[in-house]
Amino acid sequence: MNKTLIAGLLLTGVMILVALIGPLFAPYELDDQVKIEYIVDENGEGYVIAPPVAPSAKYPLGTDQNGYDLLTKLLNGAKYSIFLSIGIALARVLIGGLIGMLLGYFSKESAQAKGGSSIWSVLNGIPIFLIVWLIMIGISINPHASAFEMSIILAAVLLIVGVPSVATTVKAKTMVIREKQFVTASQSLGASGWKIIRSHLFPQMKESFLILFVQEVILTLTLFGQLALFHIFVGGTTMYPDPTEYHSRSNEWAGLIGSGRMNFYVNTWIFYIPLAAYASLIIGFHLVSKGLEKRYGKMFAKYSHL
Amino acid sequence: MPKAAQLTFIVPAIILFIFLFAVMPVLLHTDPVSGSFQLSWKAAAGTFTGYFSGIENGESFRFYAGENEYSFWEWIGPFFLNSFYYVSAAGIAGTAIGIFAGIYFAVSKAGWMKGIVDFIGSLPDFVVVLLLQFGIVLIARETGVVLFEVATLNSDEPAVMLPLIAMIIIPANYMIRNVAMQMSLTLKEDYIGNAKARGLGRMYIIFFHALPNVLPYIKGDLHKLMGIIMGNLFIVEYLFNNNGISMLIFTNAFSGHGYQYDIVVNGLLAFLVLYGIGYAIIRAFLFALGKVFLR
Repeated sequence: MNKTLIAGLLLTGVMILVALIGPLFAPYELDDQVKIEYIVDENGEGYVIAPPVAPSAKYPLGTDQNGYDLLTKLLNGAKYSIFLSIGIALARVLIGGLIGMLLGYFSKESAQAKGGSSIWSVLNGIPIFLIVWLIMIGISINPHASAFEMSIILAAVLLIVGVPSVATTVKAKTMVIREKQFVTASQSLGASGWKIIRSHLFPQMKESFLILFVQEVILTLTLFGQLALFHIFVGGTTMYPDPTEYHSRSNEWAGLIGSGRMNFYVNTWIFYIPLAAYASLIIGFHLVSKGLEKRYGKMFAKYSHL
Repeated sequence: MPKAAQLTFIVPAIILFIFLFAVMPVLLHTDPVSGSFQLSWKAAAGTFTGYFSGIENGESFRFYAGENEYSFWEWIGPFFLNSFYYVSAAGIAGTAIGIFAGIYFAVSKAGWMKGIVDFIGSLPDFVVVLLLQFGIVLIARETGVVLFEVATLNSDEPAVMLPLIAMIIIPANYMIRNVAMQMSLTLKEDYIGNAKARGLGRMYIIFFHALPNVLPYIKGDLHKLMGIIMGNLFIVEYLFNNNGISMLIFTNAFSGHGYQYDIVVNGLLAFLVLYGIGYAIIRAFLFALGKVFLR
């Protein structure tokens, strides 16, 4: 294990622990609210407490504009950010990986043809969040369905838009391994296509699948964030008219960034605390992915001539 | 399939794709009263055909911004130019910085710089933009010096520098990592060892032996790069409140009269044209670069 991998595993491990047992340690309930109060202290001086309350001993990370404790919100929203992104990534890699291996093994094209740009790569040019935004915008604002149901719907959409790119990556890798001699040997011994995929191709690509999975987690989290900027929050959006305000129903971290975004001039903590939590989650997964690459990269390394 | 045939197939496919996806908010929506999901096939089909029947009388090129009705053609000019300016700057500067910094990274240790590039690369584009804005606000609060405008609040003081920096950083970062990787792979090839054994200079080998073999990979990856630039354009224009095509789409997609299919489709088609122009510009830039280093 290298340092990068250990650091990444520690960071993501802590985050997953927070998502699992965090709500038990939340200092307040989700619906506890700071009301506007006039307090007179022992010196006889009076002052007004009004939300948003800045970070203090009583509210470690402060409260948002409506007086809800930010730490409580983060602890409760963690499970949506972390488990949903992991779940989506896992499903993408399982389904996309299977499709990719089947396509790669049975396709008639040869692996030599790659390198030149296929016209189909134009499809890479369409921003994914735009497609998801168009699908979700009609149903995501003030929905009847619960936050959990809305998360599942979003997850299904993100799964569908994510599978093709995973399948293409896996297909390209499969086509390279397909040309190896042990595959030919196995074919001439009479192994079926399914048998070869299971016991020759898959073991060769285990490491790639693991790295692909971690990278898909990062991509999913990125999409959560981009969608949140455009008011599509995981678990649905509560919109209040006059003045228009958007609130995350699940307190998912990207959603908290999206709803607190306009606070970076004045009540900065409402903006940067969710941002810091979200960024450290992504950095954690990034370190894991880098660490894995380093660990597996050493296996077949060649040396630079210069 | 020959390339021309593929092109005649894929361009209409993408246009159809735009028409179909833009109709999604009409097709799939919540009932305003009960809040449950609804699929309105009829309304969706009506919106879809309504666009084509409206082309003739110009109805498809009119939209509401607030209560006033405007013509799409009057608005698109300056909005398109604004977006075009950012996309072409991001394309050329991003590719140039990416190639030369990528080469430098591949042949030198550059430890801490690699660390920074890696760190920025690990963050999503919008986090980079938000951190840039936040940094400027922080500096302004500590020192009273406002380095750049953080967002366009009125048309007299548009934010120019910061969006430009944000537009360039992200594709450049992607390009640096990509070029550095391809370059270090190329430098492991036997013909590089051969060139070295012939006593050729280090710079000569890098630029005349290795770079020509890296350029095809860059060309093959251009659509991915354009995807990053265009996705970034949405984020940057939105976060800086700059008047470009994506803001035209997002601010006018929903007006007091409901969802405006026409403006979304027109905006996305303009976006597609911009994509084509941006792609052509980077290809021309790479062609010029190839003329210098290919013999």
